[in-house]
Amino acid sequence: MRLSGITPESFVDGPGLRFVIFTQGCLHHCSHCHNPESWPGDAGKEFSVRQVIRLLKRQKKSKQGITFSGGEPFLQAAELAQLALAARQMALDVVTYTGFTYEQLIKNNDPDIKALLYASDILIDGKYMHELRDIGLQFRGSSNQRIIDVMATKNNGQVVLYHFEQFAKKNAPK
Amino acid sequence: MFTSIIKRDGRTQDFHESKITDAIFKGLQAVSEADRQQAMELTLEVMKKIRAKYKEDSFSVENVQDIVETVLIENGLAKSAKSYILYRENRSRLREARSELMDAVSEILLETNRENANIGNSPSAKVLQISEVASKNYYLKRMLPEKEANSHINGDIYIHDLSWYGKTLTCLQIPLDRLLREGFNNGHGYIRPPKGIKTAAALAAIILQSNQNDMHGGQSFAYFDRDMAVYVELEKKRQDKLIRSNLELLGLSADETKLEALVLERTKEETYQAMEGFIYNLNTMHSRAGAQVPFSSINFGTDTSEAGRMVTECFLLAYEKGLGKGEAPLFPNVCFKLKEDVNFEPEDPNYDLFQLSMRVACKRLFPNFSFQDSSFNKQFRDEEVAYMGCRTRVISNCNGPAVTNSRGNLSFTTINLPRLAIRAEKDLSCFWKSLDEMLEHCVQQLITRYNVQKKLKVKDFPFLMGQKLFLDSEGLSPNDSIEKSIRHGTLSIGFIGLAECLVALTGKHHGESAEAQALGISIVSHMRRRCDEAVQKYSLNFSLLATPAEQLSGKFTKPDAEQYGVIPGVTDKEWYTNSFHVPVEYQISAMDKIALEGPYHKYCNAGHISYVELPSAPEHNLEAFEALIRAMAEADMGYAAVNFPVDICCDCGLNGVISEDSCPKCGGSNISRVRRITGYLSTLDRFNDSKLAEVQYRQVHQKF
Repeated sequence: MRLSGITPESFVDGPGLRFVIFTQGCLHHCSHCHNPESWPGDAGKEFSVRQVIRLLKRQKKSKQGITFSGGEPFLQAAELAQLALAARQMALDVVTYTGFTYEQLIKNNDPDIKALLYASDILIDGKYMHELRDIGLQFRGSSNQRIIDVMATKNNGQVVLYHFEQFAKKNAPK
Repeated sequence: MFTSIIKRDGRTQDFHESKITDAIFKGLQAVSEADRQQAMELTLEVMKKIRAKYKEDSFSVENVQDIVETVLIENGLAKSAKSYILYRENRSRLREARSELMDAVSEILLETNRENANIGNSPSAKVLQISEVASKNYYLKRMLPEKEANSHINGDIYIHDLSWYGKTLTCLQIPLDRLLREGFNNGHGYIRPPKGIKTAAALAAIILQSNQNDMHGGQSFAYFDRDMAVYVELEKKRQDKLIRSNLELLGLSADETKLEALVLERTKEETYQAMEGFIYNLNTMHSRAGAQVPFSSINFGTDTSEAGRMVTECFLLAYEKGLGKGEAPLFPNVCFKLKEDVNFEPEDPNYDLFQLSMRVACKRLFPNFSFQDSSFNKQFRDEEVAYMGCRTRVISNCNGPAVTNSRGNLSFTTINLPRLAIRAEKDLSCFWKSLDEMLEHCVQQLITRYNVQKKLKVKDFPFLMGQKLFLDSEGLSPNDSIEKSIRHGTLSIGFIGLAECLVALTGKHHGESAEAQALGISIVSHMRRRCDEAVQKYSLNFSLLATPAEQLSGKFTKPDAEQYGVIPGVTDKEWYTNSFHVPVEYQISAMDKIALEGPYHKYCNAGHISYVELPSAPEHNLEAFEALIRAMAEADMGYAAVNFPVDICCDCGLNGVISEDSCPKCGGSNISRVRRITGYLSTLDRFNDSKLAEVQYRQVHQKF
C-alpha cells in the first residue's frame, strides 16, 4: 500500500489519541486542500500491511484508535480493511476519512469498499469545501462534512450521526 | 587661600581644611592613642605641600590623599600611614558598592526589570525593586559567609529570594478551615467567622493577602472545596430562612419540594458569585510588597459532598468565564487533585468535575493536575498532598506529623548542574566528586540561612506567627524565636539543566539516548539520597527540588558561555532546561516525553512538574486530554499540566490560537497572549528575555 505519511500521535483526527495513516493518491483535489502532496498516486512510499501493523503495535499504548486519512483511503480499501481488522484485534477503534459521501460509497458494490466501510466505527465523509470552512468544528474542516456512526447507520438504513458522550455540559449561571 | 576641591565624581565642592584633619585623626586613632593637636600640625604640613604643588582650586581629593600619605611617612608615622591607606581603601570599597547600588537604582528607574513575570511597572514596583537590590547587596556583602556569597555571585549556585534572606520564609499551605472557623486578626481588629459563602470567599482572599505580606513565596489552600463547603451549608440555611420569611411577609405558602429547589438554586448562584469575586480579588489586589498580586494557589476536586462539589464546580465555571472582558485570570494557580474512587473513573462521584476541569483547562491552561495515587503521594493515606504555586510539595516531616496544612518551604538553593559537567570534561568520577562537594556546600548554606531565620521572632510575623498559621506556633509569645515552629518547614536543594549536564557528560541528553536517561536517573536519585542523609544528620527537613527556573534561565548560562565558550547542546542557547525536563526545542512525542520525565518525580520530593506542549487547545477532544493525564498517572507523576497557546482578543473576547497580529474576528490589534512561565501564567509582554527565547523554541508534540 502506498502512504504519504504516518503520524503516530495525533490529537485532532478523531476522539482520543490516535495513530494516523495518510494514504497516497487522491482524485477529489479539493480547493485549499491541507495535504496536496498526497494527490499523485505515484508519490509517497510503499508499505506492506504487516509493516504498518508492526509499527502500530509499538505505538498502541494510550491510543484510542487508528485513523485513515489521506489522500483518499477508499482507493486502497482492501489493504486498509485488513489493517482495520488488525487494529480492532488490538482493541483500537477505527476512524476513516473520505472525500466521497456515505451514499456514494454504499451505491458502489465493490466488496473491498464495503469491507473498509464496515470495519470502521466512524466515517467522516464529504469533500472539503472552502466556502463552508469553520475552524470551530470538531475533527472536520467544513460544515458539509459529517461524523457518521457506521454501525448505527447500517442498522437504521439511514445516516446516523455519531453521538459523543458529553460529561462536561455545565455552564455558568447568567 | 583655597576655596574648592574637585570630588571623585568630578563635581566641585567647598574646600575645608578640617576635613583633612578629621581623616588624619582617624588614621592615627586606628594605631594608637589619638592626638587631635598632632593631626592639626600634620594638616598644616599637608597644606604647605598642596600650595607648593597646585595652583588655586585645581586639585582633587585623590591628590590630597596622596600628599597625606607622604607627610605621614616623612614624620615617621609609617604605621599610621598604613592604617590611613586601609581607611582609604575601605572608604572606596563602600563608595564602589554604593555606586553599584546607585547604578542598579537608575536602571530600575528606567524600567522595572523583568526577573519575575508577576511584577508590573508601577511606582510601587520600582520602590520594591530598589529595596530588593539594596537588601541583596547588604546580604551578599555584609551577612553571608564569603564562600557562600562568592558561589552565588559566580553562578555555581543560586540562592533564591536573596533579598528576603534574613527576613522571612518562602511559602505556606494556609490552614483556611481553622482561620475561618475561629476568626482572625490581621492587625486592625478581630474578624468574626463568616456566616455565608460570599463573606467566606472574601475573607479567604484577605487571608492570602495578609500572609503574603509576611512571606515572599506562594500562598496556598490545600483543601479549598472542603474548607469552603462549610459556608455553602451555612449559605443554604441562610437562603432557606430568607425565602421562608419573605413568603411569610407576603402571606404566601409554597410547595416544600419547590422551595427546596429554589433554596438550592439561590445557594448555587451565591456560590458562583462568591467564586467570581474571589478570582477578581486575587487578580487585582497588588498587595505583595505593594506591587504584585499574591502568588496564590488553590487545591480542590476531592470533596464529594453536595456543598464541596458546588464549590469546585462554581469555581471552575467562574474561572472559565474569566475576568470582565473574558481575559484569562492569571491567579490563583489552580490544582485539581485526582484520586482513585473519587474522580478518576467514569463511575466515580466527582468524575464529572474532572471532565469539567479539563474543559476549563482547554480555555485557561489551568487547572494543573496532581496525582494522589502516585507511589510517593499514596503513602500519606490520611492526608492529601497539595501542591503550591509552581510546584512546591511539602509532606514528610522529621520533626513532627507529616501533614500538608500549616507548613511550607523555608528556603531553597539551586545547583548549576551543567557547569559541574562542563568542568568534569567527560570524566564521570570527577563529576560525581564535584557534585558531592556542591551538595554539601548547599546543605551548609541552607543551614547558615536557617540559623538566621530561626532567630527571627514571632513578632516579626504578625500574621503568619501572630495568628498561629505555622505548625507548632500555638504556644509561642511575641518575643519568642520561631525555631520551634519552623523546624517543620523544608530546606530544599534544587537543580537546573539536567539535559545540558547530560550532553556535556555523554554527548546526548535523556531524550536522545537510553544511556543518558540512565545516567540522569542516577544523578537525580543520588542528589535525593544526599538530601535524605542530611535529614538524618541535622534533623531538618532537607528535600530535593526540580527548580522552577524563571529567574535562573539566563543567570547560569550566560556566565558559563563566557567562561567555557559556546558548547553545542550545552551553552548555545540563552537558557538551561528546566530541572529534569527534556529540552523544549527537542522534537519528541508527548507519550515519550511523559515516559521519560515520569521516573524523576518520585526523587524530587520538594516539588516537581511536567508539561506536554500541544499546538492548540484540545477543546474538541477531551478524550485525548484525558489520555495524556492517564499516561501521566501511569508514569508515576505527581504533578503535571498540558500547555498550548491561548490568545485572547481584548476587544471582542475571541479565544484561541491567533497567529496573525490582529484578531481574525473583529480585526482588533489588542491581543493578550497567555503562556505558562515556570508554573504560573503570565502574558507574553511580562516575560524576561531568556524565557521569551525559550517560549519561541518550545516544540509542540504534534505538527499540523
